[in-house]
Amino acid sequence: MELFLQLLVSGILVGSIYALVALGWTLIYKSSSVLNLAMGELTLVGAYVCLTLYNWGIPFPVAVLGSLVMGAILGLLVERLVLRPLIGEPVLTVIMVTVGLSFLLRGLVGLIWGTDTVVFNPAVFPAESIRIGPVIITPVYLGGFVASLILLAFFVWFFQGTRWGLAMQATADDQMAALSLGVSARLVYAIAWAIAFMAAGVGGIFLGSINGLNISVGHLGLLVLPAVVLGGLNSVPGAIAGGLIIGVLQNLTGGYLDRFIPGGIKDIFPLAFMAVFLIFKPYGLWGWVKIERV
Amino acid sequence: MFRLPAGTYFQSYRQAHRFWPTRFMTFRMIVLLVVLFAVVPFTFSNYALSIANRIGYTILAAMGVQLLIGFTGQLTLGHAAFVAVGAYTSAIFTLTAADYASSSPFWGFLTDTGMAYPLSILLACLLAGLWSVLFGLPSARIKGFGIILTTMAAQFITVDFVIAQYVSQIGGRGHYFSIPPGTLKIGRWVLTGDRDAYFLMLILVTGVTAAMINWKRTRLGRAWIAIRDNDIAAEILGVDIVRYKQLAYFAAGMLAGLAGSFWITSLFFVSPEHFVWSNSLWWVGVILIGGVGAIDGTIFGSIFLELMLVLVNSFSVANILFLYFKDIAFGLAVIIFLLYEPNGLSYRWWQIKNYFYLWPFSYK
Repeated sequence: MELFLQLLVSGILVGSIYALVALGWTLIYKSSSVLNLAMGELTLVGAYVCLTLYNWGIPFPVAVLGSLVMGAILGLLVERLVLRPLIGEPVLTVIMVTVGLSFLLRGLVGLIWGTDTVVFNPAVFPAESIRIGPVIITPVYLGGFVASLILLAFFVWFFQGTRWGLAMQATADDQMAALSLGVSARLVYAIAWAIAFMAAGVGGIFLGSINGLNISVGHLGLLVLPAVVLGGLNSVPGAIAGGLIIGVLQNLTGGYLDRFIPGGIKDIFPLAFMAVFLIFKPYGLWGWVKIERV
Repeated sequence: MFRLPAGTYFQSYRQAHRFWPTRFMTFRMIVLLVVLFAVVPFTFSNYALSIANRIGYTILAAMGVQLLIGFTGQLTLGHAAFVAVGAYTSAIFTLTAADYASSSPFWGFLTDTGMAYPLSILLACLLAGLWSVLFGLPSARIKGFGIILTTMAAQFITVDFVIAQYVSQIGGRGHYFSIPPGTLKIGRWVLTGDRDAYFLMLILVTGVTAAMINWKRTRLGRAWIAIRDNDIAAEILGVDIVRYKQLAYFAAGMLAGLAGSFWITSLFFVSPEHFVWSNSLWWVGVILIGGVGAIDGTIFGSIFLELMLVLVNSFSVANILFLYFKDIAFGLAVIIFLLYEPNGLSYRWWQIKNYFYLWPFSYK
């Protein structure tokens, strides 16, 4: 029981980071129907920018802010240069352009920062863990959880309360109607990409500060794909729930199944689970059922 | 459709569906085959032949992707998994045959007659095909992004988990399966160097290309293309889409198995690192650059990307940087092609051909 609680709590803590990245993904999909496979590399870019700033001696919150600004700029650039000409193209084209983007970003990251694992120096979070009842929590996870909650709350407020957020909701709902009411779809796409880059960057910073940062953190960023599919692609609460579920699931399999089937089942189980889950619920938990006509 | 040289008209469907419809085309293809089979292997250096083998391997692997994406419209991002299944099946079978050749009459017979490797190719095709069908089963209910996720799951489950953790342990050979020279032979023909691999590659690529062209003009291929163009309409017209989708997965898996069993001849060892996810993406990039749905596009795309690699390799001095330049070059190539040449190289080739067919009396 103690093991279960421990795994559950750390699963939720990691899952909140996935939820944040998944939210960014869903935003892009909702507003422009772009299925983005470059999410892993987006997390890498944000994390490396923040780490470099921090290791130059800039305080951690400012470094995070710097990486957010950098993420927003990159997001706007990517949207303008690569994605905008391809809006409305077939799924394969749009997916492969994000794949091309991911190769490009990964190559650039490798070229600039190399392959060696780098750590935040001096460490941002204290190493000794906090004990709450039977559960032991590492400060890194807690930091990631808090930051994710803050950002999630901020983004939810952004959608509900601001003019731009409402414009995004309108575009996601019905693009034609939104355009005829004077909402600029281009602005919406740009904001969606900027937010996705920012969210992924923050996710990457915390994923990278758990075990040090290297290219393989990008692989963790890929775990948002099962999360968004679980939630149903175009549902914001679904993305958050999906991220949490994937985090918990990953930790539970790591704790219970790894003994019987050793060799990293933790990393592949979310994907395997997704493949089976999709057979039973093709549109995820809260996704819109698409009615197709000839 | 392609345009014909001035003065050539088809008078029956049979004529229009011929393999090489005009005499000039027959002549051109025969010259090409003669050059590839008889001139290239004896005039080119070993290095050039090894590049040709890599191109051939890419063609073989990408043909399966072309079949799934270009013909049937089933997006796949996990093709490397099935190539890996083929490579490992073939490697394990031939190695087992070599190990037990002296102790067991069955394996001894296989080794002595040189049947082990050809048999292993068949087995590899079969196993890879079945493995591919296993992951293609969800396509009965889902499509689009869900299928992409399923194939990604296939990639990570097969290569990063099953093969890297379990299959690699078979026989206690350690992480790499190295294949001793002389193990791979077809009858009395021992595959040792690049030239032998080149001939095998050429036979396989020619066969696979012919098979693809033939598939496209049979009932099977028409059903696949109907599913790609509009699956609901195809179903209404009586195409059993579940069955034909599974057939497409099986055929693509078989091509992957073929590619995998060819792979072991060119490097003489296999490792899970040869079949990582970026390979799957790379092959999708090949068909995008070549042209989705175009069989010659697969070949053009493979040649383009492999030659690009050679070019990148000659520019990057330090070996470690090569990996990053390779990624950057591939990413840029895919993005630029999608933005500025979305129909791929085969479309460009088609335009060039048409220009010359109509030259000098071209009309608009």
